[in-house]
Amino acid sequence: MGTEVVLSSPTGDSLLENGVRHCVDDICVPVKLFYGHVLDLAERCDVLFVSRLVSVEKAEVATYTCPKLIGLPDMVKSSIEGIPRMVEFVVDLQEHSIRSSAKRLATALGVPQPRVRSSLAEAELVQAAYDEKLLAGVEPEEAMRQVLGNGNGTGNGGKDSSARKPGAGRARKPDIKIALVGHEYLIHDHYISHNLPAKLKRFGADVTYMTQVPIEVIESELARYPGISWSYEKELLGAASHFLGRSDIDGVIIVMGFACGPDSIISEIITREVVTEASPPLTTLVLDEHTGEAGVDTRVEAFVDLIRRSRNRS
Amino acid sequence: MKVSFPHMGNAYIPLSSLLSNLGAEVIVPPRPTRKTIDMGALHAPEFVCLPFKVNLGDNLRALQMGSDTLAMVSGMWACRFGYYGRVQHQILRDVGFEFDSILLGREGLGTVYNKFRDTVEGSLLRGWAHAVRSFKHKAEAMDALEMAARKVRPFERERGSASSVLADGLAGVHQAQTIKATDAALREALGVMDSIETEPPAREPLDIAVVGEIYAVLEPALNFDIERKLGEMGIIVHPVMSVYKWLFRPLKIDPSILVDERLARRIAKPYIAYVLGGEEHQTITGTIRAARHGYDGVIHLYPFTCMPENICRTILPRVESEFDIPVLNLCLDEHASPAGMATRLEAFVDLLRERRRR
Ligand code: SF4
Ligand code: SF4
Repeated sequence: MGTEVVLSSPTGDSLLENGVRHCVDDICVPVKLFYGHVLDLAERCDVLFVSRLVSVEKAEVATYTCPKLIGLPDMVKSSIEGIPRMVEFVVDLQEHSIRSSAKRLATALGVPQPRVRSSLAEAELVQAAYDEKLLAGVEPEEAMRQVLGNGNGTGNGGKDSSARKPGAGRARKPDIKIALVGHEYLIHDHYISHNLPAKLKRFGADVTYMTQVPIEVIESELARYPGISWSYEKELLGAASHFLGRSDIDGVIIVMGFACGPDSIISEIITREVVTEASPPLTTLVLDEHTGEAGVDTRVEAFVDLIRRSRNRS
Repeated sequence: MKVSFPHMGNAYIPLSSLLSNLGAEVIVPPRPTRKTIDMGALHAPEFVCLPFKVNLGDNLRALQMGSDTLAMVSGMWACRFGYYGRVQHQILRDVGFEFDSILLGREGLGTVYNKFRDTVEGSLLRGWAHAVRSFKHKAEAMDALEMAARKVRPFERERGSASSVLADGLAGVHQAQTIKATDAALREALGVMDSIETEPPAREPLDIAVVGEIYAVLEPALNFDIERKLGEMGIIVHPVMSVYKWLFRPLKIDPSILVDERLARRIAKPYIAYVLGGEEHQTITGTIRAARHGYDGVIHLYPFTCMPENICRTILPRVESEFDIPVLNLCLDEHASPAGMATRLEAFVDLLRERRRR
């Protein structure tokens, strides 16, 4: 649309601390992170772009994201002082098309309407390319770099920060395969997850993400577990069911944020309705702002050992 | 059929009447206590919200008392409550209990309707019609008694009289077998309530609105009977919700409830623009209205990690300053203590008295 885009910095100590300071104690850690990213941007932009994800599919029986994602702009607007003007990008596919959201966005940004069609078409192409990368197993940050060039062409989004990433180190040759199930904003936030994917690789595991499961596969798995109206949790459930039924997967880790409402329910549904005798081992890793790297190391190492031991036995 | 359901304030009174009129034997577990919560917490997912754990504890007790059927509302909702029944019943089966589930909302109405085909004598339709009528009657009686006690409590000469008359009255209504007997029990209890000796207050009583997550507001086991405690401190309590409204809101038959809901959404809209699936509209609007009515303060109750109320809690400070009304946020979990709660309440009440003097 012709605006210059500024992205927030990768999560770090002070960003997280700022977020935590502005949030209610018992809210989930991703919201605290979001606040941190908003504050990180506050002085570096003229307009703050915040998405309001209400419903992300048009379905016969309406589905929704999580109450906190629906209410995110309300929270930001009412509780952080001194932030730039905020524009909302509402995604409510159950009620209206993405095009009409884009039109409203253009109005709010003062962008001429004729530009909407071309920019939306381009955005859709980029999104498709990005989705394809994810499907092929590329991590979101890397996929974005590949698709958009240097993050967004403004030079600050895709900074190569691998040197500072916790958990980085030489991987050993993988002998087991572990699937990760959980919100992307947790698993792929290297700071809060202590770079879980790289850690697993270091422990000799080949890692596969739920973003690598095609949507048709998820849909067909879900046919066995109807009655969930949280769109992202449906994906979690479908992906978990897929992984738990695959013989080449040696273990599944559900990664959830402390105080995540939907995950507290869906992880219980997965362990009680999906897991069978034949399923590979499953564990849950709960992350919050107090989780130390040592704690994650211990959990991951124990899980990997368990897998190797049970395999040697059989 | 020996049926049971989790507690929610005095809802067991109309619900028992509904089910027993449908020919079921109703098992009412003891009112939830800390022990119930501990029992539930033992089997519940660690990070689930508190009402889940209390409900699960109620169910465990009911099964130990011999229930063979558990009923629960359920369905596809934006919040966790919609999944309670499904997950709780699975947990209880995994523990080893065998029972039949009635999940109202998840199963179609027809399924629930037909569940009672064998228990109702004579016409099923007529059985339902009668059961619903007595349900409504009991709910109205319960509501009338709760309201009457709320009015008298701050002014009673002898502390606790209103609450004990309320308890007796509710017991009478609960035991009544017919609609006529229900009416008689209600009339009698209201008469006794009327005759409670009152005295004019030493000072103008404070008005406090109570808002928040529905279960935290309505279940005394969760909120340490906050309504009674405040009332007996000589404070006029205005809860935004009642068990009656909670029971009848989903039925969409009472126009005044529907109008109120719509209005509440409209008033809350500048603060929370979309439906979040909880009581967010009543929390925000209840606070705004408390200010408009000139009340002294608002108490906001919610279970630890409650999603919609976490959002409200984030936004309430803005409402508080825009409308100049003090709000006390009380977050409840299984470790909350009555002493801690009492201290915070007293400090808040002192603050409000101080404010009024100025
Ligand atoms: S889905 Fe969970 S982690 Fe994400 S915003 Fe909602 S509560 Fe937070
Ligand atoms: S409103 Fe709060 S307490 Fe109720 S189900 Fe939702 S998160 Fe749990």
